[in-house]
Amino acid sequence: MAMLPTLFGVTVVSFCIMQLAPGDPLRNSLTATGEQGKSAMRREAYLIQKRDLKLDKPLLLNFRAFHDYHEPLRQAAFFRGRSEEEIVEHLRRLVLDPDSSEHAARIQYLKSLPFDDFDSRLSDPRKHARLATAIRGFIQMYCEDVGIYGVSAAVELLTSADSDLKLKIGLIDCVDMMVVEAHKFTYSRNPKESETPLVMGVWKTWWDREQENFPPLDEDRGKVLEEQLATMSGETSRTRLFELLEEEYFYERDDMRFFAEKLLGESVLAEKSICAVVLNLYITRPLPTQVPLSIDEERVRRVSENWLAHYEPRRDIYQPTLGRKTRNILADTQYAHMVWRLVSFQFGRSALKSKEFVSDKLWTAFAISAPLMIMAELVIYFVSIPLGILCAVNRGNIIDRLLSLKLFLLYSVPPFVAGMLFLLFFCYGDYLKLFPMDRLHSEGADDFGFVRYSLDYLWHACLPVMCLSLFSLAALAMYARTSMLDVVGQDYIRTARAKGVTRTGVVYKHALRNAMIPILTLLSNSLPALLGGSVLIEVIFSIPGMGMLGWESIMQKDFPTLMALIYVQAIVVLLSILLTDILYVIVDPRISFAARGSS
Amino acid sequence: MAEQLAQKNPAQEDPVQESLVQESTVRSEAYLDIVWRQFKKNRFAYISLWLLLPTFLIAILASALVSNQPFIFFDGDEVLFPWLRFIFNPEEPVDFFFNMAMLGLIPWAVAAVWTNRAWRRRGMPGRRRALLVSAEYLAVIVAFSILFLIPGVRPTNKYAARSFHVDQFRSNGEKWGIFPPVRFGAGEPDIESQFQPPFYRKPETSSAGLAAYKDINDGDLHLLGTDNIGRDVLARMVYGTRISMSVGFVAVSIYMTIGLIVGAIAGYFGGVTDMLISRVIEVVLLFPAFFLILILVAMLGQSIYLIMIVIGITRWPTIARLIRGEVLKQRSIDYTYAARALGASDFRVIFRHILPNSLSPAMVAAPFGVASAIILEASLSLLGFGVRPPTPTWGVLLQLALGNYSYWWLIVIPSVAIFCTVTIFNLVGSGLRDAMDPRLRI
Repeated sequence: MAMLPTLFGVTVVSFCIMQLAPGDPLRNSLTATGEQGKSAMRREAYLIQKRDLKLDKPLLLNFRAFHDYHEPLRQAAFFRGRSEEEIVEHLRRLVLDPDSSEHAARIQYLKSLPFDDFDSRLSDPRKHARLATAIRGFIQMYCEDVGIYGVSAAVELLTSADSDLKLKIGLIDCVDMMVVEAHKFTYSRNPKESETPLVMGVWKTWWDREQENFPPLDEDRGKVLEEQLATMSGETSRTRLFELLEEEYFYERDDMRFFAEKLLGESVLAEKSICAVVLNLYITRPLPTQVPLSIDEERVRRVSENWLAHYEPRRDIYQPTLGRKTRNILADTQYAHMVWRLVSFQFGRSALKSKEFVSDKLWTAFAISAPLMIMAELVIYFVSIPLGILCAVNRGNIIDRLLSLKLFLLYSVPPFVAGMLFLLFFCYGDYLKLFPMDRLHSEGADDFGFVRYSLDYLWHACLPVMCLSLFSLAALAMYARTSMLDVVGQDYIRTARAKGVTRTGVVYKHALRNAMIPILTLLSNSLPALLGGSVLIEVIFSIPGMGMLGWESIMQKDFPTLMALIYVQAIVVLLSILLTDILYVIVDPRISFAARGSS
Repeated sequence: MAEQLAQKNPAQEDPVQESLVQESTVRSEAYLDIVWRQFKKNRFAYISLWLLLPTFLIAILASALVSNQPFIFFDGDEVLFPWLRFIFNPEEPVDFFFNMAMLGLIPWAVAAVWTNRAWRRRGMPGRRRALLVSAEYLAVIVAFSILFLIPGVRPTNKYAARSFHVDQFRSNGEKWGIFPPVRFGAGEPDIESQFQPPFYRKPETSSAGLAAYKDINDGDLHLLGTDNIGRDVLARMVYGTRISMSVGFVAVSIYMTIGLIVGAIAGYFGGVTDMLISRVIEVVLLFPAFFLILILVAMLGQSIYLIMIVIGITRWPTIARLIRGEVLKQRSIDYTYAARALGASDFRVIFRHILPNSLSPAMVAAPFGVASAIILEASLSLLGFGVRPPTPTWGVLLQLALGNYSYWWLIVIPSVAIFCTVTIFNLVGSGLRDAMDPRLRI
């Protein structure tokens, strides 16, 4: 239980690192001082990642549900409903008469957007053209950030009688940016009954509008279609289903009447799902949600209806109850979403083009690093403790001095220096090619038998493991030496000697076990060092493990992966500390968790 | 990791030793003398302490030892001082600091001898004199830095506008100059001698249409070879000493300061404060330090000052933990109660009474910390996240050879330098630790 605050701290640190992620590329290009070209990410890719990581939410507290979005949206729509030339024209009017109530409100809204020195740009007419572009861009970002919280206000404005045509066009534009996927035309991969109202609602709107354009079907065609539908709904493999649709069954536009009626009428879930797929495949843009700037009243009315069709079934989402609003203050924030993702180990997808799952990446890397780490830990413990004991037993004589000095020198060799020197002397060049230069397997290692494969692996892993363990090995051996010396000086050792136990007997029966206790604690100390130090070793030996993954993600600014890496490593260390505590109790019966209490 | 060794100091948790510690703090005037006596007994540590002197001297005197600017140059009709312009206008502020240290060396030495004699006559103890004399040096450096940062105070000459190295010195004519021992600059490229091994001699004449011009260092020996754009490795190593030393000392000072203050507050006040700080310490220690530093440096930008700060803010928890433990123990000793009974404020009790008595674990950790900061800086540079390219550091040299091991001198030379420096600091640290270990004191 004491680990909970620590875990909380871990999430906070991960969150802070996430905040270092480079900002919106659109914003960078819009602000006058923006560092352009800093991130190669495209706007679209950025947007997907932003929505995925909920970066459009507030950081810690979300009061957006209580905010009244009518007025800001009216201003936003005012600008989005106009072309850039019109905005420039309007800006001129704003400068001439900034004090009338309408203009003042508009200027106030624009000032709330993150412009760099808005005032000077507004007062200088030569900058108006760029300012107009920036206004449109910033309003786009504003709408994307407001997200679902603004939808109900926007729809209300859209349906109110006061709004003029341009405002409505702007509003439609704004709503389109707030909502990610307006209409749900098909079921998801595994159809659920709960999806039916949404899907059917969409197609019903469309069908009500288009019904008269489709002539009734004749009997025979109806039967054929009925058969084909039965085959398709019996099909379990999704790829096969699409093969059928693309290569074998071809439909006329008129056949859509059958599918629409089937979908809206009495049918089972599987059939409904197929019908929706077919309709979506053959009807292009059944319910358009976007409008160009120059457009007639009729089209705007129709698109507004489409938005209403989107809004009505989701009313409870867009107009949440007070309880939900209150809950959202804490729950619908960047931090809360991130904590949830971390706690449930859902790290999402990498920000790179490959869009791999971060957890897959982590597992592959971990599967490579973990054996190395374990081998290194084993080497550390199995070499250092006997060395430490050897030194302690021979305290003060030539063996102790030589060994101690050697260990000390070893302690001063940084692992990466050792790695590079090893590579230089043992792998590179013509005469001393004892070990391979890089990677963990020879080429074509997959065809080897088990024994040869493992030997090959060990041969490759030899140097990296050595480098990983050298530093901690020296530290631990020195620690073991002093720890042993401590114990040997205790009274009970003298008593044992006085009883007549032999020298070796004392060392191995009485002293060793007691000397081990403090050494155990170092397990939790050497693990973070190993995890961190592996970056260098893996880069030098080109091993595609956790360290290499971390290095590459830093180079490519792959933040989801980085955050996951940091978090997982912290958790591993946390677990190792826990393990150490448990080992402590097992090794030393004097210690119990009950007694440790406060420490 | 280096702090691990420091934790070995048994004065922290072992109740048996507590009485010994108390005893030593009661005779606090003599405590450091005892430590010094013990330290001198450790031969390796004592030698390394003296070896620190040449290391510092190399860093301080780098500009005077290695430079392609002559101290004095007579170009046929007038006498020039190109070296002065060079030391007053370095590219890196660290270099300016060390150059000021170099200029201040002789004035300080004179002043130190004089003041030392005066203080001894007044009967001031030797340890205090040594401390004051070192403080004098710092004061001299700071004074010089401030003085020469004032515009117009810096000496100028006609070379202010020209770079001496590629200047048009025709090979004929009567010229002479006084040069530093090694006549190569740390950032002086030479396209014709890239990646040359040690003992390579720079050609007497350049062939690329520049035959009419002669560099002052033509025909000189590149004692340790050259790097990817023909810069002298020895020069880069010597100037790299400055970077390594300053990263080590500044980073350690930063995290020592933070760690001391935070640890003292946690230990002294206890309760909720202590719990909060302990949790923060735990959390920071959970993250693999190197990886954390790597991310911060990569995201916030590349410069040595940032590296110093980042090392500082990621390493303080170890010190804070050591100090907290020590302060917890000191808090319940009589002198603390006495100080409080006399009406001393919390601030005064912490910083005047408790902290000086709980410094020993932190003091032991400091030399190890310097060593590990030097390693960290080198490894960051090796990965390409360290300093920006023209700044010479040891890690950058290593990085050049990372892909191609045929440039063996670029691996061996910095490795040896890193190893030696780290060993020296570690030996001093372990000597200090043993000297402060009350079990060995009889």
